[in-house]
Amino acid sequence: MHEVKLNSITKSFGRNSLAVDNLSVTFSSGEFVCLLGPSGCGKTTTLRMIAGLENPDNGEIHYGDKIFFSSKNGESLKAEKRDLGLMFQSYALWPHMTVFKNIEFGLVMKKLSLKEKEIRYKEMEKLFHLEGLKNRYPSELSGGQQQRVALARMLAVKPSLLLLDEPLSNLDSNLRLEMRAELKRLHYSLGSTIIFVTHDQMEAMTLATSIAVMNKGIIEQIAKPMEIYRNPKSLFVAKFVGNPPMNIIQVKNGGEIIECLLKKTTFSKNEVKTFGIRPESIRIVTDGEGEIDAVLETIQPTGADWIVELVVSGKSIFAISSDQPKSDVGQKVRLSFKLDGLHVFDDQDLNLKLI
Amino acid sequence: MDKSLSRFWTIIRSYKLSSHPNLTISLFLFVILTYLVLAPIISILSNSIRLTRMDAILSGGKFGDFTFKYIERVFFSPISENIFWTPLLNSFTVSFFATIIALILGLVLASLVTSTNILGRRYLSFLLIIPYMLPSQAIATAWITMFKNRKVSGPLGMLEALGIYPPDWLAYGPLPISICMALSYFPFAFLLFSNALNKIDIQLEEVATSLGAKTLTVWSKIIIPLLIPTTMSVLLLTVARTLGTFATPYILGTPAKYTLLSTSLYSSVRSNESGVVAVIAIVLSCIGIILLLVDISVVKKWQRFVTVGGKGIKRPPSKLGVFQIPTTIFAWIIFLIAAFGPFLVLALSTLMREPGNFALSNFDLAYWTGVNVPGMDQPGIFTSPEIIIALRNSFLIAGSAAIICGILGLIVGYAVVRLPGSLISAYLRQISFLPYLMPGLAFAAAFLSLFAVSRGPIPALYGSLSLLILVMVVTYLPYASRSGISAMMQVGQEPEEAGMVLGAGFWRRIFKILAPLQKSALVVAIILPFITGMKELSLVVMLVTPGTELLTTQSIRFLDFGYTQLANATILIIGVVVMISVLFLNRVTKTNLASGLGG
Repeated sequence: MHEVKLNSITKSFGRNSLAVDNLSVTFSSGEFVCLLGPSGCGKTTTLRMIAGLENPDNGEIHYGDKIFFSSKNGESLKAEKRDLGLMFQSYALWPHMTVFKNIEFGLVMKKLSLKEKEIRYKEMEKLFHLEGLKNRYPSELSGGQQQRVALARMLAVKPSLLLLDEPLSNLDSNLRLEMRAELKRLHYSLGSTIIFVTHDQMEAMTLATSIAVMNKGIIEQIAKPMEIYRNPKSLFVAKFVGNPPMNIIQVKNGGEIIECLLKKTTFSKNEVKTFGIRPESIRIVTDGEGEIDAVLETIQPTGADWIVELVVSGKSIFAISSDQPKSDVGQKVRLSFKLDGLHVFDDQDLNLKLI
Repeated sequence: MDKSLSRFWTIIRSYKLSSHPNLTISLFLFVILTYLVLAPIISILSNSIRLTRMDAILSGGKFGDFTFKYIERVFFSPISENIFWTPLLNSFTVSFFATIIALILGLVLASLVTSTNILGRRYLSFLLIIPYMLPSQAIATAWITMFKNRKVSGPLGMLEALGIYPPDWLAYGPLPISICMALSYFPFAFLLFSNALNKIDIQLEEVATSLGAKTLTVWSKIIIPLLIPTTMSVLLLTVARTLGTFATPYILGTPAKYTLLSTSLYSSVRSNESGVVAVIAIVLSCIGIILLLVDISVVKKWQRFVTVGGKGIKRPPSKLGVFQIPTTIFAWIIFLIAAFGPFLVLALSTLMREPGNFALSNFDLAYWTGVNVPGMDQPGIFTSPEIIIALRNSFLIAGSAAIICGILGLIVGYAVVRLPGSLISAYLRQISFLPYLMPGLAFAAAFLSLFAVSRGPIPALYGSLSLLILVMVVTYLPYASRSGISAMMQVGQEPEEAGMVLGAGFWRRIFKILAPLQKSALVVAIILPFITGMKELSLVVMLVTPGTELLTTQSIRFLDFGYTQLANATILIIGVVVMISVLFLNRVTKTNLASGLGG
């Protein structure tokens, strides 16, 4: 078990598209790391460079004491020699091979004996509930089964580093929940380092032990999931993580709410460019209490709670409430703001609370 | 009978056709396609077992009587060896070798161009398709211009003029036929393999690599097995094509009396043996239909090999190392031999007064202007009445057929897509597809048997341009309607329904909504059959008469008479017209034509 270390990695495609921009980061051993970001942020490219499917233009990649890539002495370990597990969103099961042949492939490459191959297959069959599927072709499997075969194929060779590219995006929501639990269990029992890529912040929050939020080829923040949620370093991270998303209020648009929020902080008006406030930190309170007037615009029950749209100083914001709102649509209400969900960003879009 | 017919009419009338334009169109297509597709087939089937007028007089029977005479003559008579069994064997021999060579060339070149760092791969991917755009007789004609020996009259072959006497086996017969067919059909294999290679989800390869497989292992264990369905398709379709090819065996086989089924069918047509023609055409069709049906079922059966597309990342070109230069040379040589070579040989032959004499003074435009050509009793290429008439006919026939075909294809598409699940939709889909299964030569024979005499209100069209237009329309219809159906599918019903809701009537919907949306589909649907029509030979060769010759058939006539230069120039003209059309098509669609040239 080793750590993965990226040092000043740069990668561009063509002249004007910088995919990864001078990226330096270390993923500790045994972590379940998630590279999270919108499409085109360089997360998949980063993963592919660790896998050896792309070569960086510049920089170094180390895995423990193995050098995967180094532009200094022009070293690049071939992908087939890196000994890691790789899984794609499409699963990339070989359609012309049976389940057994798919899983056996890596073992054949490792030149394992017939008996050993049989043992490993049995192991995987049991671990992933593949009993009775041995001679099926991928097209004869359900989505969940395909996913499990892909996992089994990757894990049969016992890699110590696993790379997953959007592993759950193709599944329907029920199956996704199940597979998330499966992956989490797997990480717990195997203890291997897992790096996975996703654009789904929910998936990142629920699975990862550490999230690296990427934007335009750089990592904006890397931290534990709850840390990312509670203390986003930048406006981008704050906006990207959370559902419904954080309410963003520009100071220059002014209004009563700005004064109200400013009063709660220690900053002056010209220090702050943007306020961000988490929906669950907005509370609808009874008349007489509260800090500001608002009009209740719409109510969306989700089953577990209620998403409420409110208009304050001509701006619409969303609150989330675990109790049914007592007022009706169109009525005037009072709001109060909890301090822990309130964030202030400067003109560099950095969180002033953390500076 | 009368009752049911009148009931049928009441039903039709109660539908108020004018308010059911979809149904009206479908019924119109139903009648036309049934006559144009089914009637020729029925006619040729009946011709094979009924006494012809001539034989009726000779044998004292009655015209139209049931007879086994023709089946017997083809399969079991003293001449069946000559007209059927030997040609059959020859056809299979030549098809076998041509297909194997084409397959190997196509696979190797497609792998090199799509997946390695061979030099000039972007140009090669276009240039290697050129032989496919040449008329089928171009390569054969160039071959004979080059290797012809004294066995055949006319000007000397180039090699012989240079003092090398090409042996018969090199000049005529199975070897050159196989090679020339392979050279004209390998681009088809190249196209199919390139498409298949580009479609393979690259993640399938990357996973194998990450599990420790080297490039060679990835190819042998993953890529090549995934190409099996494509390989089967290439094999079956190329065999089907070679069996139906007429020009190559006619040009290169006739001097050596090496007959294939296609040329045997042709000589039976020439000697007016319509019963024998019918039997041979039926055999040829059966082989073609079996091959294509097997192909369709193979494609269906191997559907599971079609993988869910990945992220559309291109396979990074493998570095060939020391093999880069040799493979590059190999690929460019194939291009030179198959595409550039024929052009060069054909062009040179029309510019040199004496073949094989490379002195500058020997080059001039004499054959083009027709001035001062010793030993030629023909006007020059520019002034030859035959070429001018053929040029006009070619444009007229291919042009009209293409326009009718393009429009008809979209109409079939409309009818099929708008009446989903109905019997008539399924019927239209099937019947417009039927001509695809029959070799052109056999279908032409069927057409000939139907239109040689007048039947009821339909006049005998033999000898007219309209017959040639009709046969082209019907033969190209499978491609046109297939693309029409997919074009209509793509647009979907919603734009039209949105118009309907807003109160637009049928015609307004067609002209204001559908037509603008289908403009580029229509242009493609017209240019593609035009290109195919310009270089069409096997389909028309037995239907033309003096005065209705096309460029392709005229070049064969010139060859028959030994006017090599005129024949070669005619082919060059076709080549130029086709190239211009292809470039125009590329401009219009802004895509590579590669995917569209299914014909």
